[in-house]
Amino acid sequence: MDPGRVGPQHLQVRGLIKSFGPERAVDDISFGIAPGKFLTLLGPSGCGKTTTLMCIAGLHRLDAGEIRVGGALYSSVADSVFLPPEKRDIGMVFQSYAIWPHMTVAENVAYPLAIRRVARAEIDGRVAEVLRLTGLLELAGRLATQLSGGQQQRAALARAIVFRPTLLLFDEPLSNLDLKLRERMRIELKRIQREVGITSVYVTHDQAEALVMSDEIIVMSQGRIQQVGGPHAIYARPANRYVSNFIGVANLLPGQIVRVTAPGRGEIEIRQGAECVRLPCRLGDGLIEGMSAVLSVRPESVTVLREHSTEPRLEGEVVHSIFLGNCLDCRVRWADFEWKVLAHPRERFRPGERVFLRLDAQHTLAVRP
Amino acid sequence: MAEAVQVGRAPAVGRWRSRARSLLTQESLVTLLASLVVAVAVLLPLATLIVSSFRVLDEAGFDTRWGLDNYRAMVDDRIIGKAFVNTLVISTGATLLATLLGVSLAWINARSNCPAREQLEPFNLIPFFLSPFVGAIAWHNLAAPRTGLLNALARDALGVPGHVLNVDNIYGIIWVTGIFFTPLVYLFVVGSLRRMDPALEDSARTTGAGLLRTTLTVTLPLVAPAILSGAIIVFVTSAGEFGVPFKLGAPYGWETLTTQIFSKAVGDEANHYMGATMSMALGALTAVFVWIQQRVLAPRAFTTVTGKGFRPNVVDLGRWRWLALAYNLAFVLIAVVLPIFCLVVVSLHPVWEGRIIPRDLTLWNYQKVLFFWRPDAIRSATNGIGNSFVLAFAGASIAMTLALVVSYMIHRTKGFGARVLEVLCVVPIGFPGIVIAMGVLVTYIKTPIYATLWILLVGYITRFFPYGQRNVSSVMLAVSEELDQSSRLSGASWLTTLRRITIPLLKPGIFAGWVLLFIIFLRELSISIILYTAGTETLSVGVYYLANFENEPLTAALSVAQTVALLVCVVVFRRVAGREALTA
Repeated sequence: MDPGRVGPQHLQVRGLIKSFGPERAVDDISFGIAPGKFLTLLGPSGCGKTTTLMCIAGLHRLDAGEIRVGGALYSSVADSVFLPPEKRDIGMVFQSYAIWPHMTVAENVAYPLAIRRVARAEIDGRVAEVLRLTGLLELAGRLATQLSGGQQQRAALARAIVFRPTLLLFDEPLSNLDLKLRERMRIELKRIQREVGITSVYVTHDQAEALVMSDEIIVMSQGRIQQVGGPHAIYARPANRYVSNFIGVANLLPGQIVRVTAPGRGEIEIRQGAECVRLPCRLGDGLIEGMSAVLSVRPESVTVLREHSTEPRLEGEVVHSIFLGNCLDCRVRWADFEWKVLAHPRERFRPGERVFLRLDAQHTLAVRP
Repeated sequence: MAEAVQVGRAPAVGRWRSRARSLLTQESLVTLLASLVVAVAVLLPLATLIVSSFRVLDEAGFDTRWGLDNYRAMVDDRIIGKAFVNTLVISTGATLLATLLGVSLAWINARSNCPAREQLEPFNLIPFFLSPFVGAIAWHNLAAPRTGLLNALARDALGVPGHVLNVDNIYGIIWVTGIFFTPLVYLFVVGSLRRMDPALEDSARTTGAGLLRTTLTVTLPLVAPAILSGAIIVFVTSAGEFGVPFKLGAPYGWETLTTQIFSKAVGDEANHYMGATMSMALGALTAVFVWIQQRVLAPRAFTTVTGKGFRPNVVDLGRWRWLALAYNLAFVLIAVVLPIFCLVVVSLHPVWEGRIIPRDLTLWNYQKVLFFWRPDAIRSATNGIGNSFVLAFAGASIAMTLALVVSYMIHRTKGFGARVLEVLCVVPIGFPGIVIAMGVLVTYIKTPIYATLWILLVGYITRFFPYGQRNVSSVMLAVSEELDQSSRLSGASWLTTLRRITIPLLKPGIFAGWVLLFIIFLRELSISIILYTAGTETLSVGVYYLANFENEPLTAALSVAQTVALLVCVVVFRRVAGREALTA
């Protein structure tokens, strides 16, 4: 959120605005990224994350704001600076891989070097090097059309890093792969990025991908930044209802802060139908007594009990419980609200059974609505 | 890590210059230039045509003044009035005939188990590539009352007195036009039928509807926009057709708007301003129909068409499939085999009187039209061969270059300019060649390019480059923009990307479009006939010369030569282009 944060910033985006017709795809966002770090722009489709990436790449012109990489001004509306994409020294991996079908893998990867008039011998060496790094050395002579999705993905990455760019951009590179391959490629991409040490910006709508790969995550919605933070912080301390709902699964109940007991701690009052309870919770940034807030509790932070043991009393009725192998997915009706709970897989609950819920106060968080 | 390019903060004074530099990229320069060329090429002739139609030539034929006299004269003139009615009748008749034949043949090929339909398909399309003018010459030799081969056969073999067939009238024009434009309907409908999701019909069948009911309530309504599209294209193409009415109508008192425009453009009675006025009338008629087709029908023709490769439902015709085969063979016989056979036969006789005389057969006519230079009329024909190949080669190359840049603009730079260009690319399709040619004539007649091949080139490209553009666009839509973008990010400039990535990927579309334009230009008549002068005749103008001033066998010889050249191109075209490449 704060563009002037401490530490050297390799990429700096300030006040970026980009509209398509009357619609603001990106609405005044600023962020930075330290050298060598892996930053993810996370959000649903249409949130402006890809547009932001395109602006950094120079494939879109800005409507307002500026973009700097390594201290050099790449785009600035105020100063009328626009560096064409080919002068930016940025590598990019596209969603469709964009491997040129009329060239072999080696030719695809050699292309950026040939454009830079690198000597033939050096090209061969560097192409072989990145193909080895991406595990494609045996496929160098294949045509791009003869590769599988995962192999095309690697080839696209090889082509993007072969000229040692100053910045690496990923536009949802894994979204066209099947689940198993996607999980393997997450680790693989991250390993290669670490090995090469390139500062990277990654765009995805997949929160698991963002959590696994990133040093820092920016959650976006409707062209604006919702929260910036590391994977743990984003998951454990979502800034608002939107982030809490988007990252992982959460039980979200609207309420009001009735008491602040200690810094960052307090009580929230929840009214649901006839029920009204006061629950101890952690308080999100800026929440004070009397403010309306949303209680966010992850399903794994709720325990289902057969006996009443703790106050306050949350007594409900099991709607259903589904065995998922490594856990039991339960729904418990309390007043008008249906709690999502993850229970131990060896537990069994019958629909209609009366149960009690215990919330883990450490992981019960009130956030801004 | 490579060193980042240092741009730094632009000082206030340099700000304007840096803004100018950021606008003056390779991309913006080339695309601006292309848009200007297209805008001038398309709008200037039409604007001049409109202006000219309000210029009135005085009695002496030297001076002009402003006025509505041309329009008044056009309304009052009995011949023009009749020509207008004839044009409407011919277009309507040809449209009905072509639609009937096109839809039935398309259904047989796409949806029935008619034998050998794979092999017949290319033959159904052949008339699309040949010259309708040559078709009219062929049918004249087949079914003229006295010298027609079929009439002579009927007299000799069956003893029928007089003649059975006569194509030298408005019905003959409808017949030949309808047959030659059948592939236009066929292409629209066969594409729509093939790409329709079979589940749409299957679900109707599962609700209990029979085959006939499904065809009438589901299939036909879904194909209707394609049928109407094809019908409208046939209507406007027929209205703008010059060669067929010139051969079969004009000499026998059946004038059309095109033959009338021609008489005002060249010859002793020439009055370009009057010609422009009549072109306005013809252009207004066709533009309205094409506008309806492009804006209302064409988008709908694709709503059920997902572009996925479906395996269409095939109807088992049982024993009736042999009838379907006979029907399709009859079409190929009438549209392709008989005309070409007849032309060959006629071309081998020194004189044609409706009878095959085996001991007279000679190749002398070919020698004369292809290599013999002396008599002036024949010389025009021989000139035309060289000119046409030069025009077709240069025209197709220039038009495809333009088409490439324009398609790129429309699909890759999505600004206001792209939308304007898209509209500009449809405009020439709305006007018959003869109308565009009149516009080009009045625009450039006082410039040095008049009386050179350049004015023909301008006319050809203006009228036909949208066809090439559509070929490139269809491929460009299938090629992801990310392929270009990743080249830019790899460090390649716009031009380098175009040269090394975009063009190689679009090669099939570019080449298919090139061959299609080459074919169109090689047979082009209605633009050439307005714009040629002595020395710049084309192949089709040569055929016109021979038809007008020499005998039928010489005409037939050159016609056969043109047909052979076109057929060779068709074979090449089928090698390089997919089935769908033709649907312009």
